[in-house]
This record gives sequence, C-alpha cells and structure tokens, in this order.
Amino acid sequence: MMNREVIIEIKHLKKYFPVTSGLIRRKKIAELKAVDDVSFAIHRGETLGLVGESGCCKTTLGKCVLQLYRATAGEVWFSGKDLCKLSGKQLRPLRRNLQLIFQDPFDSLDPRFTASDIIGEPMQILNMHRTPKYRQRINELIQIVGLSPNMADRYPHEFSGGQRQRIGIARALALQPGFIVCDEPISALDVSIQAQIINLLDDLGKQFGIAFLFISHDLAVVRHISDRVAVMYLGKIVEIADRDSLYETPLHPYTQALLSAVPIPDPVVENKRKVIILKGEVPSPINPPSGCVFHTRCFRATEACSATIPQLIDVGNGHQVACLLVEAPPAKPN
Amino acid sequence: MSEAPLLDVRNLSVNFHTQDGIVRAIDGVSYNVNRGETIALVGESGCGKTVSALSILRLIPDPPGKISGGEIFFDGVDLLALPKNQMLNVRGDKIAMIFQEPLTALDPVLTVGRQITEALEQHRGMYGHVAQEEAIRLLKLVGIPQPDQRIKEYPHQFSGGMRQRAMIALAISCEPQLIIADEPTTVVDVTIQAQLLELIRGITERLNTALILITHNLGIVARYAHRVYVMYAGHIVEHGASLDIYQHPYHPYTKGLLASVPRLDEPRKTRLQPIEGQPPDLIQLPKGCAFKPRCSECTDSCSQSAPPLIEIAPGHYAACP
Repeated sequence: MMNREVIIEIKHLKKYFPVTSGLIRRKKIAELKAVDDVSFAIHRGETLGLVGESGCCKTTLGKCVLQLYRATAGEVWFSGKDLCKLSGKQLRPLRRNLQLIFQDPFDSLDPRFTASDIIGEPMQILNMHRTPKYRQRINELIQIVGLSPNMADRYPHEFSGGQRQRIGIARALALQPGFIVCDEPISALDVSIQAQIINLLDDLGKQFGIAFLFISHDLAVVRHISDRVAVMYLGKIVEIADRDSLYETPLHPYTQALLSAVPIPDPVVENKRKVIILKGEVPSPINPPSGCVFHTRCFRATEACSATIPQLIDVGNGHQVACLLVEAPPAKPN
Repeated sequence: MSEAPLLDVRNLSVNFHTQDGIVRAIDGVSYNVNRGETIALVGESGCGKTVSALSILRLIPDPPGKISGGEIFFDGVDLLALPKNQMLNVRGDKIAMIFQEPLTALDPVLTVGRQITEALEQHRGMYGHVAQEEAIRLLKLVGIPQPDQRIKEYPHQFSGGMRQRAMIALAISCEPQLIIADEPTTVVDVTIQAQLLELIRGITERLNTALILITHNLGIVARYAHRVYVMYAGHIVEHGASLDIYQHPYHPYTKGLLASVPRLDEPRKTRLQPIEGQPPDLIQLPKGCAFKPRCSECTDSCSQSAPPLIEIAPGHYAACP
C-alpha cells in the first residue's frame, strides 16, 4: 500500500469501566476491561474494518475514538492534537470532522424532526443555517445519498429502513468530515437493501476521500468494503492486516475460526468445507482468562498460552498478529 | 417421495386487520415437509416467513390476525379443524418451536429446569425426580456445562448462546416429529451460530426429526437445508431442492438475492449488485407480480395477474412467466 497521510492514530488506548457493588456506598469491586491496549492508524480515504463478536467492545472502541467516551489511558491523534487531552470546549471545533453512522436507523433519527431538519442539524449547531446556501446544501446532500428532494419535508416514520439509513448518512456527511465511524450500519437492514447501502458508502468514501472505521460482525461485508481489517476479541486486537492478507492467510486461530464459521451461500461449497467449531462462549471481560484471552476456546492452545500474554508482532507487510504459536519471521540479513 | 409428507400446508392465507387496512401477510402459500427432512423458508423481513410457520401451531394472535383460508395437514390430521384442547397436545409434543429471541420466549420467573419439567409433565407424564433427571439429561445433551446446577437458574443468568441451548433442550424434550426454528441464530454471533446449528443438525439427524428453518441468511440455508422455499411479499416465488435453487436460480428475486450478498469464497467484487427499490407495502400490493416494480426482467404481462408456480425442472418450481 502507498504511504499515505495518517488521518487518525490510536496509541495504547484503554477504556476500563468500574464495576460497583453496594446500595448506598458504591464500592468499586472490579474493572471491566472494555478496550485494552489497542493501537492502530487509519490513513486518509482508507476503510478499516473492525470485526469481532458482540460484547468484544467494538462499539466502545468506536466511541472512545470519537471521544464520546473518554478513555482511561492512551492517545488518539487527530490533526496534530491528542484528543484525549483536550477539554470538551477544545474538542468542539474538531468534532465536525469526526462523525458517526449508527446501527439502528429507527432509533437514531428524531421522530419529531423532518428529514431536512435532521440532515441540517449539524449545520445549525455551527450557525450555518442562516446562510442562503443552507437549503441548497441540504438538497445536495439528499441527492448525494440517493433520495429525492421532494422527500425533504417528510418525517422519519414515512421512510423505509434503507431510506432512513440514507438520511443518517446524509447527516454524517453534512459537515464534510474526514473520518466517520460506521457502527454496524447495515445489520438492521434487509438483505436486498444492505448491498445498496454498502455501495453508497463505498462511493462516498472514494468521492470525498473519507476514512471509515467500519464496525461489523459480518465478515463477508467487511471484506467487501475494507482496505485493512482488525479482528477484536475481548477488548484486544488479535490480528490486523491488509484485507487480502487477512482473508487469504489468517494467522490467528480466532480469525481462522471466525472465517470458517461464516456459511457460504452455495450448497456445493458448503458440503466440502470443514468448519472449525469453537468450544464454549466468550468469557466475561470482567474476569478475562490469564495469558492469551482466547486460550479457553482455542483449538490450538498449549500450556504456555495460559501463562504468557501474546503481543502483536509483525510477520511482514504490516500483518500483525497476537498469538504465541505464530513466530516472527527471522530478521532479514542485510 | 412415495410416502405422504409429514406436514402439508395447502393454499394458506393469513390476513391482519389493521387501522390502515387489511395486510395480506401470506396469500395462498403451499409447502410440505417430509419426515426427517430440513426445509428452509427464506425471504426478507415482512415477507411472511414467520406467519406461515406460526399458523401451523395456530399461534397467530386473533384478532388482529386471521387464517382466512387453506388447510394444514400434519400426519394426516387437519390442524386448522382441531378443537383447541386437542391442539394443546400437538404444540410442544408433536411440533416444537425454537424462537428467535430466547429471552422473550422463556418465562423469566420460572427456572430453566421448571420450564422443561413443565413440558415433561404435560406431554410425557413424568413427575418429580424422574422429570428432574430427564431435564438434566436434556440440558447435558445440548451441551450446557454443570446441568445439575444450571437447572436451578433463571433465564437471565444464562448467556445468549446458553439460553438458545435451553430453548433447544425444551424443544426436543418430547421428541417431536417436527421442529420449527424461527431465525434461531439471528441474535447470536457467528461462532455460537455454528455451534448451535451443528447441535440442531445432530439432533434432527439422530431423532429423524423434520425441521423448518426460517432465516434470511442464505449461507445457513445452503449449509443445512435439503429443500428451499423463497418467499416474497406473502407468496412463495420459487422452491426446489437446495442445489437447484443455488445453482440454477430462476426467479429474478432469487437471482437478485444471491447476487447481492458478498461471498467469502469468491474473488472480491468491485461492486455489489443490489436489488433496487424497496419491498412493497403489504396493504397495497401492486397488481400482478409483487416483485414487478423491482424486477429487471419484467414484461407487460407481469402486471396482469400474479404468476402461478410452474414446474421449470423436475421438482423445481418458480412463479415467473
């Protein structure tokens, strides 16, 4: 991949939620390690897919990046500033460049607002609604996302799920952001509509050079839309690599199991495939297993896995994996 | 197959009377299931998959819903003509159901064990210790660790995957001849989904149980179903052996669905091929073929009358002229 400008960089990000007990005097009894030492960078116009099971805290990570949750520790670098160190007031001018597309288009739109109010609200907050271009910009946005301008004065309930998601996308685009977090943007939509929205996001990314953090549990969709993919398990990134590298040669046993568990819509292929069935369920993040967090379900785990915490190592071409069984390539002789 | 099918649904229609008008949830749907066979009902939300399965057990809320026509023969008996008290002997005993959301389907104020023993008392005449031990055996069978402890716990103490396992244990408690699984794995993750579906497959094969799998996930259908029924806007638009449907889809909707999902085993496409437009409003269905407004291959004759199912190859039917 070309060496492009990094738009957002996350370094050793941690988010711990306190677990409290007691009725009157709330006592902290444990910590839920939602995001535990996560680092990655996203380049301008690049899409990073983030996959993992529910409860592995993909959404929390997305919110920490956008400063909707303040991280416990770590840094988020965006346009030369560490967002984690800024106050709410200092963050405000930067927020216009950081947008979010939500999972459920039925919950994320205010039912009392018309489509044009919803799309225009980000501009209103910045006092841009008094300019003559305001209305024109809304119409432009409505057309960009594939709706027709005569729908502008309708209310959310008059739209179908796919159309609502388009309104949510138009709202995210309103201030021409450089970076958008898409939190499961298609999982609430019907199969035949999903492809429409994916194509739209794909086009917008290319047209406006937007970088996406695309959070999803659908591995086939993530492969389609992402340039790079990160796999998350219990608050940690276990593997991160270029799309093709990850899907063709997955190195972490968890990634291998995830990929093999995705059913393929073809009975002939399905009959020949061997599926890796993982034992058990995702352990609680309050009391994660020792060593490698995946060792309790891993089909290749050895004794060492329960003792040592594996670090992300680079096996070449930016393909990083955190597994004790994967060895770093020998250093190349000069 | 020469043997009569276990379940034979003929020309079933269900309407819902709402303030905005009559919703024709399903209209003239026919399908059948043989003993030990797995069939899949596939389609988008609102296409009538769940309604057509719920009506087998006569669980359609009435009002507003009403089964307005058709017959459902199960093992030679017309379920729609059965008196209510005899229907109770069918539900859970001969036909069991696995619901989509186990947290709402299981009773929150009863222990998991009690919910299973209740079915055992009702249908198999087991009481006390006998029922208790049978429930433990069932929980063990579906892979719940420490079943003798977990049996005393309530549904909220179970994780999502475990709850669905408990639902499966409940469904198989009376060794039914038919299990209806309504989106059994939509709320769980892919690795748990694989576990649960393998479990269901193992059980249906061992007990020779027929299975109706309701899902929108074309991958699951390909992996598990023998025959497939594709539904759109309350009609079956195509059905046949799973191999035929996937290799030679005939109806434009089936073709569109298969083309619109990205596949992991194929080279990555630069663009997905969506089905344009929106699913129709069931109150005001377009005249003729319901798929016409979104169809790329339609002709003038499509808007005249709804096309009937025609056999286009042995055992492969499609409703498209």
